[in-house]
Amino acid sequence: MHPTVRKLFPYIALTGLFSALAWAVSFGTLPSADFSFHNGDEVKTVDPALAYGQPEHRVMTAMFEGLYREWPIGYELDEQGNVVSTPEPDENGNYPMGSAPGLAESYELSDDGRIYTFHLRPGVKWSDGSPITAHDFVWSWRRTLHPETAATYGYQLWYLVGAKQYTEGRVEVGDLVEIELANRLRADQPFPRGDIRRAKLIGIARPPQVSPPTNASDEVKEELQATWRSNWVYVVDHNAVPGASESASGKVGAYCKGTADTNWKQYETEWVDDRRPESLPDTTVKCQQILLDFESSVGVTAPDDATLVVTLKNRTPFFIDLTAFYALYPVNRACVEKYGTPNWTQPQNIVTNGAYNLEFRRVRDRMRLVKNPQYWDADRVKLEIVDAMAVKSVTTALNMYLTGQLDWVTDVPASVIPELIARPEKDFIPTPVLIIYFYRLNTTRPPLDDVHVRRALNLAMDKQLICEKVTQAGQIPARSVVPPGLPGYKSPLCGEFDVEAARAELAKSKYANRPGGIPKIEITYNTNDTHRAIAEVIQQMWKNNLSIDVELKNLEWNSYLDAQHTMQFSVCRAGWVPDYPDANTFIDMWVTGGENNETGWSNARYDALVKQAAEEPDSELRLRHMEEAEAILMDELPIVPIYYYTGKNIVSPRVKGFFHNALDQYPIQLMYFEE
Amino acid sequence: MGGLGGFLLRRACWIVITLWIVYTASFILMRSVPGGPFDSERKLPAEIQKNIEARYKLDQPLINQYFNHLGNILFAGDFGPSFRLTDFTVNEVIKQGFPVSASMGIFAITFAFVLGTLSGIVSAIRRHTAWDVSFMTAATLGIAVPNFVLASLAIVLFVFTIPLFPAAGWGSLRQIILPALCLGAPYAGYIARLTRTGMLEVLGRDYIRTAYAKGLSERRVVTRHALRGALLPVVSYLGPATAGILTGSLVLEQIFALPGLGSHFVEAALQRDYPLALGMVMVYTCLLLFMNTLVDLSYVMLDPRVKIETQ
Repeated sequence: MHPTVRKLFPYIALTGLFSALAWAVSFGTLPSADFSFHNGDEVKTVDPALAYGQPEHRVMTAMFEGLYREWPIGYELDEQGNVVSTPEPDENGNYPMGSAPGLAESYELSDDGRIYTFHLRPGVKWSDGSPITAHDFVWSWRRTLHPETAATYGYQLWYLVGAKQYTEGRVEVGDLVEIELANRLRADQPFPRGDIRRAKLIGIARPPQVSPPTNASDEVKEELQATWRSNWVYVVDHNAVPGASESASGKVGAYCKGTADTNWKQYETEWVDDRRPESLPDTTVKCQQILLDFESSVGVTAPDDATLVVTLKNRTPFFIDLTAFYALYPVNRACVEKYGTPNWTQPQNIVTNGAYNLEFRRVRDRMRLVKNPQYWDADRVKLEIVDAMAVKSVTTALNMYLTGQLDWVTDVPASVIPELIARPEKDFIPTPVLIIYFYRLNTTRPPLDDVHVRRALNLAMDKQLICEKVTQAGQIPARSVVPPGLPGYKSPLCGEFDVEAARAELAKSKYANRPGGIPKIEITYNTNDTHRAIAEVIQQMWKNNLSIDVELKNLEWNSYLDAQHTMQFSVCRAGWVPDYPDANTFIDMWVTGGENNETGWSNARYDALVKQAAEEPDSELRLRHMEEAEAILMDELPIVPIYYYTGKNIVSPRVKGFFHNALDQYPIQLMYFEE
Repeated sequence: MGGLGGFLLRRACWIVITLWIVYTASFILMRSVPGGPFDSERKLPAEIQKNIEARYKLDQPLINQYFNHLGNILFAGDFGPSFRLTDFTVNEVIKQGFPVSASMGIFAITFAFVLGTLSGIVSAIRRHTAWDVSFMTAATLGIAVPNFVLASLAIVLFVFTIPLFPAAGWGSLRQIILPALCLGAPYAGYIARLTRTGMLEVLGRDYIRTAYAKGLSERRVVTRHALRGALLPVVSYLGPATAGILTGSLVLEQIFALPGLGSHFVEAALQRDYPLALGMVMVYTCLLLFMNTLVDLSYVMLDPRVKIETQ
């Protein structure tokens, strides 16, 4: 090494160090926001079709709007945004939350309660200035339902006729179908779509199935099955659809998603009405998708720019509330088709229609929202710049609130709750929310297959103690699966803590006099200090009060989910957040074979009541049916309710327009600072 | 300088091979953990679950996924979309997070280096004095006290008791100081101990005695003659330390709500965000190998006895 290089080295190193330091202190300055709030974990996506979760909900309702919007019942503003009337809170401090017209001005409902005709507000615009039309809704809902969009909350649209079948990609002979040719602009983007041909499906030709090797794994079998399905040939009649594309060659066409054999005509074929057409094309046309024909078969149409007609399968009394839920918000077609998913959601590309636009996003830092001047109700939106801060640690969030960096914190550490309640500012008001914490009991495993054991377990549980000593945030002990706070609904209750009654109930069980006593029970929960503490307390209660041995099993999140879905547990901790403010969301999941039942429980009377409630036109009677169903649930107890959650919002006393509510949802566009 | 060129070339080859092995091992490890990126408490209908998997090409055979992903990284430098932060690609996440971690890291490492070497030198020269004892006690404490304790203490002291700094967040110089000090503290402790040991060893050497015998002042002996040799262990420690510091710290980032890389590292693995976890592992490995190469080079500069192998 040359000596001069060596001599220079310390200077080079120092220069490097100083330039690094100079770079490190060079911050771009950011104008401060009017209002900053703690949004919890990082927002996963701002695409209304793909989002799920609370942080997403908060920003989504600020950036987009649906036919209706979340609004406190009885809260009225005049044209200038001055408060005309404010609702009264209930005894818990909760305000009634409902929906108010958003992009829709009004709607009419058919007598059978199935057809909604929405009238769009005149002059509503996207943030780029283009008009919002009923066609935007049709297109957005179609996108949400499209199988390749893989929308998390797609099933919220399954109340529409044909919607579920469209998403599942199921087509049967005789259906009207839409065939998307394999000529997409970008293969991985379902929108913009390839050319669409509408036709009637008259036959499905299925190639002979290849039987998998005997020792094949499930994965291999599934793959073989999938390949086989993709090689089906769909025979369609192009002329059977009114207004079908003239360019479709010939009357009968054959389409295949995979690669069809040349001898496909020899395949075993299912024909509509068993009628085989006289001539069949020799070759098949490759297509991307064959789906149910959306235009004619799915219950949403736009007769003109300002009218949207929605046809539901059954009467759905909470459908208006659903239209205020973000899965049903429209997105801007031009924007999505130009940039594709997920690029259209980037701040420089995104087109919104709500009170705020997205100015920029920094992962795990903040989303900056600025008021959208194109919003139809912009005059009554008061906060100009809002920062949604992705602060994961609740302690940090509280620190930031206490030092004035945040105006609203959505969750606080459990350990400081008593101190926060005692604050002289009275800025922390925990109120009950519609979320239930409960234990699933696997009714297919002994001893939980015996209803007396299940009742005894419930009676032997001191839920008051759990709320007071373990969770400590003013949670309310639960004796029903539907939390209180839903207008008009009164939950039937299950038994209260009573050791004597619990022992008596246990004595009635078939396991009572068995040699060896009652089989051991295992409580499964996911890694979390509170879940563990609750499980430990319950373990003690069951041991002391009923002499049942209980083991605890802690699983990491994904393994826990897996155990729950496959019912590899005897008792399992769970929670349920409602999808919409209606008792049905807590009731209909326990029907026989329901996707989220996961207890093995089945009761014919219960199933019948849930069905009856769904079809009941009278809203009073409908609630009574559901109450009756819940009474069965609370008697048979495939689940044991433990407590109802509380909302843990701490809000600066300067902030007005913040309404505590059981849905735990707080529209930002209502908030403002006191002058 | 031909020797240097050859050295760098050979090093580059090794780096590529190491990166490939690390990538493959991480890929296999990650896929053998139970659970997938799209599990959730609410069970999704099978049809939708299948669609989501198809969208991210998780339905393809594992070997295809491996080669596709590796190919994209090699030819386009593209780690693909993040599975959990759906609106971002892995490249964007790293691009946004790295500068934050890096500026905090640069502060932390500068602070650690300056404080560590100074106290180490003083301790060595004034060994067995009150200075030595108090510096070394502080160093031991700095290493032993976990950084979340240190951070909590710092917040109580400098945010609430004496309101000098904001509680958390990112965007100004004042917000960077507390987390950088907490991040740098254990490193400062290590560096102080390393410097002291190195210094003590060098001070006993013949050439130092010669320097004193020439009549040089203590200051001159220390800065001119002893320091170079004493710093060698510190330099070799700085390489991996810098790589570790630059990729961020999960705990401090959560306590101070910083949008750095550390949280991504852990959460991507926990949430089975395969591409992001792989991206993070590769960034860390690259940094580590790069820093180690820099350390080897600076060795040559600092120590005349070290020669680049040229065979």
